[in-house]
Amino acid sequence: MAVTKEEILDIALLSKLWVDESELDKLTEDMAGIIAFADTINAVGESAEDFDNINNLSNVFREDTVVPSYDRSLILKNVNGGENGYFPVKKRM
Amino acid sequence: MQRNESRIRRLHDLLTRKELSCTELTQKYIDQIESDNARLNAYVNVTPAQALKSAQEVDKKLHAGEKLSLLEGIPMTLKDNISTEGIETTCCSNILKGYVPIYDATVWKTLKAHNAVMLGKTNMDEFAMGSSCDTSCFGGALNPYNQAHVAGGSSGGVASAVGGNLAVYGLGSDTGGSIRQPASFCGLVGLKPTYGAVSRYGLIAYASSLDQIGPITSTVEDAALVFDAISGKDEMDSTSSGARETTADKLNGDMKGLRIGIAREYFEGIRDDVKAALENAIKTYEHMGAEIVYFNLPILKYALPVYYILACAEASSNLGRYDGIRYGYRAQSYNSVHEMICKTRSEGFGAEVKRRILLGTYVLSSGYYDAYYKKAQNLRGTIVKAFRSAFETCDIILAPTVPMTAFELNFTAKDQVETYLTDICTVPINIAGLPAVSIPCGFDAKGLPIGMQLIGNTFCETTILKAAYHYESEKYAEIYKELDLGVRL
Repeated sequence: MAVTKEEILDIALLSKLWVDESELDKLTEDMAGIIAFADTINAVGESAEDFDNINNLSNVFREDTVVPSYDRSLILKNVNGGENGYFPVKKRM
Repeated sequence: MQRNESRIRRLHDLLTRKELSCTELTQKYIDQIESDNARLNAYVNVTPAQALKSAQEVDKKLHAGEKLSLLEGIPMTLKDNISTEGIETTCCSNILKGYVPIYDATVWKTLKAHNAVMLGKTNMDEFAMGSSCDTSCFGGALNPYNQAHVAGGSSGGVASAVGGNLAVYGLGSDTGGSIRQPASFCGLVGLKPTYGAVSRYGLIAYASSLDQIGPITSTVEDAALVFDAISGKDEMDSTSSGARETTADKLNGDMKGLRIGIAREYFEGIRDDVKAALENAIKTYEHMGAEIVYFNLPILKYALPVYYILACAEASSNLGRYDGIRYGYRAQSYNSVHEMICKTRSEGFGAEVKRRILLGTYVLSSGYYDAYYKKAQNLRGTIVKAFRSAFETCDIILAPTVPMTAFELNFTAKDQVETYLTDICTVPINIAGLPAVSIPCGFDAKGLPIGMQLIGNTFCETTILKAAYHYESEKYAEIYKELDLGVRL
């Protein structure tokens, strides 16, 4: 399947990535090559197996139990301690 | 050191006989890192104070006459995608620079309980996406055999450190070959355990249905000892499986009657010297009494595109969490939250990570989901079934780890797909969730190591490690080259 610059820009938007105009040609070319390679799986007929998960795993359920969580100040250390106990994001109009 | 003696056992004996204190041992490694790391770029974060503190705890136990477990006091390293409480963990990405986890990965918690001495965090491809460590934001780790060549990827830093005698062993992660390929390039043993054998809790996710943590070591017995310590059920990872038998105490015995499978497709398109080394290894196993069984696995040709579709799809979802709000890098200027997130991600991720997120989003997007993601998932089922059938006729499968030896630093593929092709021998194992170990089986004309991969059925780590141990014992003098790079003791 051919991929267009417009599709790359759409996918980038979904991925929350910005593609600079100067990168677009090269990225489209790279992606076209990778997608053409991915396309090779479509040479296999419809006989492929259904697949659920690896090594017969099943969901693990348990009753909810309340356990102590991490201290808020510890979690906020990665944003220089946060602001008033929250993750700060600058206000923009 | 004689033959394939475990380095962990050797150092354990030195410590328990009090021929060397743990602090002295640790200091030797710290000095070696100081002298060689600039050349190898194996470590991205060295933690000498923490290492010496752990060493002093071990010395206190020794002084008090307490017994040490085998891994206690052994200097080691972790790949920089394994969470370490209080120690920066970056995945070698600008987007996670400065991120300090507030909890330990289960594997590190387990090794800490064994009083392991961690020397620091090692280099890797950004978010484990790459085959030569060159997508690391710190620059790539170099091959200890020849610094004009790469150490491999993505766990290149661990392999460079262990091969260069800057750690006794290390833990890496393997999503499509990231433990086995650098182990192969650096003449080491790299074990990718069965999916679920080792807890992934605290491993920063690339592709959750493919990722596994495993050891990179100098000898097979060391790999078995580390695997035994880190494997088992963990309630923090619902995909981890229950406790199972240990492997390190079952390496002896003989190879008589072992059925070694050779899938012909694995030997197509590999370099002649790699093929010759593998053929010699097959003869060695025959000589040791193993039975060789040949068969075809034609589905293998679809494994690589299936892998890239599934791994990138999972990555595009897993890496959605990096928005600059709670940790790591955040763009300096922005006019809205949406702009902040887009700028943070665009500035923070490297080119290969962005390419894989884009591919993953593409194959999951409306209109393409059935043709790519769903089809690849179904083919995954076919690949699992093909391996299951193969293991009805053999006990292990012998294959190359990589079709070539370590690339030169300036190697440039003609396109991205050519780079991905280097993973062709390793990715089927992750797709099928199987265990595989890479061990050295020779050298190329430049003296660079060649790796061989022994693949087992699910949870059959003992079978592959035993076969690897026997080969290592038989061919030790030929396949193991001591690198005169420093601490080995």
